[in-house]
Amino acid sequence: MLELIFTALLVASFVTLFVKNGRVAAVISLIASLLPVAAIIDWGNEFGLKIFSFGLEKSMDFPIAGITMHFSVTALAWFFGVMIFFLIPPIMLFSYSFFEKNRGFFPFMLFLITAVFGILLASDFLTLFFFWELMAASSFILVYMGRDRKAIISYLSFSVLSAVLILTGIALIYSQNGTLLFSNVAFSADEVTVSAIILMIAGFAVKSALMPLHAWAPFVYSKADEPFVAFLSGGLSKMGYYGMFLMLFALPGAKILQQYFDSTVATYILALIGAISAFIGTLLAFMEDDLRKLLAYSSIAQLGYIAVGFGIGSSLAITGALFQAFNHAFFKSVLFLAAGAVAYRTGKWKISELGGVAYKMPFTFMAALFSIFALAAIPITSGFAAKWLLYEAAVSNKYIFITPIMLIASVGAFLYSFRILYGVFLGENRHDDIKEAPLPMVAGMFLLVMPLIIFLIFPGYMLDMMHSALVNAGIGTVSHTNYVISTGMASYNTIAVVVGMMIAMIPAFLIYVLRKHRNIDFKDNFLAGEPYEIYGHISMHAANNFYKPIEDVLMPYLRRGATSFYMALYNAMGRVSKTVRRIYTGLSQDYAIYVAVFLLIIMGWLIW
Amino acid sequence: MVDFLIKIAVIALYTTIAMLVGILFMGIGRKIVARVHNRVGPPVYQGFIDIAKLLTKKTNISHGWIYDLALLFSLTGIILTILFLPIGGVKLLGTEGDAFLVLYLLAIPALGFALGAGASGNPNAAIGVMRALVMMLSYELPFVITMIALMIYYDTSSIAQIVELQRARWAIMIPPFMLAAAVADMALQGMLMEAPFDIPTAPHEIASGPMAEFGGKHLGSLMLYKAGTIVAYTTLFVDLFLGGGVVMHDGSILSYIVNFAVWFLLILLIFTLSLLINASFPRFRIEQAFKFYWKYEALLAFISLIWVYLMVIS
Amino acid sequence: MGLSDGDIMRYEEWNKISRIASRKSLWMLHFCTGCGAVELPPVMTSRYDMERFGMGPMATPRQADVLLITGYLTVKTLKRVVNVYEQMQSPKYVISFGSCPINGGMYWDSYNTVKRLDRYLPVDVYVGGCMPRPEGVMNAFLELMKLIDEGKARGWEKYQKYYEQYKRNQKMAFGFERGKNEGD
Repeated sequence: MLELIFTALLVASFVTLFVKNGRVAAVISLIASLLPVAAIIDWGNEFGLKIFSFGLEKSMDFPIAGITMHFSVTALAWFFGVMIFFLIPPIMLFSYSFFEKNRGFFPFMLFLITAVFGILLASDFLTLFFFWELMAASSFILVYMGRDRKAIISYLSFSVLSAVLILTGIALIYSQNGTLLFSNVAFSADEVTVSAIILMIAGFAVKSALMPLHAWAPFVYSKADEPFVAFLSGGLSKMGYYGMFLMLFALPGAKILQQYFDSTVATYILALIGAISAFIGTLLAFMEDDLRKLLAYSSIAQLGYIAVGFGIGSSLAITGALFQAFNHAFFKSVLFLAAGAVAYRTGKWKISELGGVAYKMPFTFMAALFSIFALAAIPITSGFAAKWLLYEAAVSNKYIFITPIMLIASVGAFLYSFRILYGVFLGENRHDDIKEAPLPMVAGMFLLVMPLIIFLIFPGYMLDMMHSALVNAGIGTVSHTNYVISTGMASYNTIAVVVGMMIAMIPAFLIYVLRKHRNIDFKDNFLAGEPYEIYGHISMHAANNFYKPIEDVLMPYLRRGATSFYMALYNAMGRVSKTVRRIYTGLSQDYAIYVAVFLLIIMGWLIW
Repeated sequence: MVDFLIKIAVIALYTTIAMLVGILFMGIGRKIVARVHNRVGPPVYQGFIDIAKLLTKKTNISHGWIYDLALLFSLTGIILTILFLPIGGVKLLGTEGDAFLVLYLLAIPALGFALGAGASGNPNAAIGVMRALVMMLSYELPFVITMIALMIYYDTSSIAQIVELQRARWAIMIPPFMLAAAVADMALQGMLMEAPFDIPTAPHEIASGPMAEFGGKHLGSLMLYKAGTIVAYTTLFVDLFLGGGVVMHDGSILSYIVNFAVWFLLILLIFTLSLLINASFPRFRIEQAFKFYWKYEALLAFISLIWVYLMVIS
Repeated sequence: MGLSDGDIMRYEEWNKISRIASRKSLWMLHFCTGCGAVELPPVMTSRYDMERFGMGPMATPRQADVLLITGYLTVKTLKRVVNVYEQMQSPKYVISFGSCPINGGMYWDSYNTVKRLDRYLPVDVYVGGCMPRPEGVMNAFLELMKLIDEGKARGWEKYQKYYEQYKRNQKMAFGFERGKNEGD
């Protein structure tokens, strides 16, 4: 029955390839994308999400071309499945309105889902790699549709880098063990295994845009279609962390690293890289004017936290990291989709050109607002619980460098959050002729916001869902009830916060209700006495160079970043290739001389 | 059930008193600044009059529902924050959350305020919010470092627990925390937006910044929020470094009164210190403030953190 | 900038607390495009210290209760004054400072100054003189407080009641029906 799901997804992908109408393709893809969701719900009976069951098998061996692909669902894969596959139907719903014509988004997206499904189910390295490459290929085609040279080249080269690193790692593991099944691989603390682990983690880190390997993300995120980018940032980036979790904890890579280095230095470096990603990503985000690039840097920053959690490696930290991964999947998808919805109506990406959209698109604004609360970890959404767990973990392990960096990065998130809120949604009302995004778009976004609110009140459910994954990896879990998480350091009672907020709202609400007000137009504004009309031709929107003062201070330090290094490398490669290409002059006598020289050398070597 | 109701009553009482103290402090603050300027100054109850006037204005304007969120969020958020801070040793909801929660709860009113300011559509308001956010980024770095130092030393992140563990001696009596307290006090200066860090609401530069379009009940609720922040931040400081003002531990009625009085005096002291600095300094530019906090303050804070770390691991 | 029905409040609803609070906490917006702004610093600082009556300078009309108009007003600035006044929240009061807003003062024959401010805005208290000294300004503030206490400072109500007439006078002052690009 499992192969039926694969087949159905592939068939749907093939069918949508020939459907010209975007709406029809969207409906087909929506139905097809419900298949993995159904599978996840069915498997949920074993792992803590009991809704219904139709008896889907949990493992499958699929012989093909002389080798056998091993599939089986683990608790870890199931948790990541929940995170990723529940994203897709709302995104498809969004795409229903977003794509008038089927330009190839739907078939390759379905292909991508198939690949992700394969990765999560793979229980040997070869299958994992096979589907990893399928994922890279299909997502590359989706990136290619953006038709931006920089995006295409950077995504392709980083995908290749990732593939090479992972393949080398797999080869090294195979040379040590002679088997590729996860269950049979036995790690030992020797150079080969350790380098394999490090290579594979680096390979997975490319996908999750960790700091030195992040350079592709801003270009790709800002140029591809929005629904795909939402999935790329929300879903695919988690695949890198799935791989990392697999290497570090499911297969006990973290322990091997600790044994080999005789300290936690390797995982500490991972945590530090994560924290620095979070910090630098944040700083770069609030200086960005392109909405999509801002969100891209924000993704890099938020994904950094997950690496911090994996690096710290305690049960608190990993719980926090997985929670953060889950939250990020949802809120960042909503933000990218909201950006897509705004662009769908206004056709603009620059924050300095937008403004006042919230009055015309209130529901899009609401969805974006809630996801921004989650992004900034404000305790009105579940975003806070995740970061709280990470901070608790870092402080209880006495990580004196990582904790302040993480905290200040999170404060920096307020800065770019406000940039989105003000620059895009509030401020001067510049768009009189737009209206609210179509219903499917709004519905898609609100469906994605739902979990953020549910897990605000009941973070315990989330911790229950990751319970078996953590236990299977031998990590242990955080003690909790449905709404109280307690660590060794403190406890966090969500009901106290929610009820306290309702009670605290009473005075403000009374003031709001008892004193009447009248609504006035935006134009009736204090401009030192000048009527607004005089400024009609001047922008009243303070969105150009919004964070200029701090930019002036920070920019000298940030100019020499990783991206400029890669650009220099790219240019150097270009120069080398140009030099090499001079050999190919296109004249046959030159080639004849090359052949003659080559033969002479061979002859000389033979004689000598 | 009766216990629960008593607890609710105590929480309501303490929160109300805290807000009233905050409003009183606004008057006291103006009085102190006036005395430094060699003026008579307004009566100490001036804050009550101002708020009463603003809330009884005959007309109020609003720039739409997002603008009204400022009113709702700012007051709600600050009261919620006070609920999670131990006041004079009384924990209220202090055991249900910790210092990180308080840090992020303090962001609710700030973000609500920023939303309202953005929705007012005034460019001055946006510039003011930008300055406020940059200030936030600036002062949070030294402040969180000192807070982490405390957490590592006491091995807990709960403020109630930290207050409890300072029974024997207040944190400020331990050498590294003297440095940390000095740093945190300067961070407090930024949090309270007093000079030289009154950059966000500079009335002469950007027409009082975020508040440019606020009037009537909206401004009144923002003044209540301001009153709340004075209490919340000074109480946070007192809880972290001065043992929450707890001097009697026997749990009698008298001890509650004495602890409350000590808490009041301590936050008044901290606030007065901040006002004296306020009254005698001109205003920084925003990048100067940023550099001040991230260069000198952060360095000092980090020295104290490393000091504490070495104390703890040895 | 029109006024809705909700704005037309009856004076009887004016409760006592509101009156006391309003009297003791007058926030002032000074509109000092004419002369005389230099008389205000002594009023605010330690010599006369208006803050002891709860008064203070405010940055924007939304926050202010008192509009202090100093010196002469040209036709061009009148437009701004009216704009500012209408952005203030009721109850609001106007203090005119110097002799120019009363009768034109030394600009009595100027072609582009407003001779009688009272025709365009309801003035509650006048401070005569050229220039009035800070004592005079303080006296005006105290007078305004007394008027508020007695319920006589009703300019903002008058403005609402005779809105049409005020608007007509203002338009006459501007000289013609100005279109979209007025005010330059």
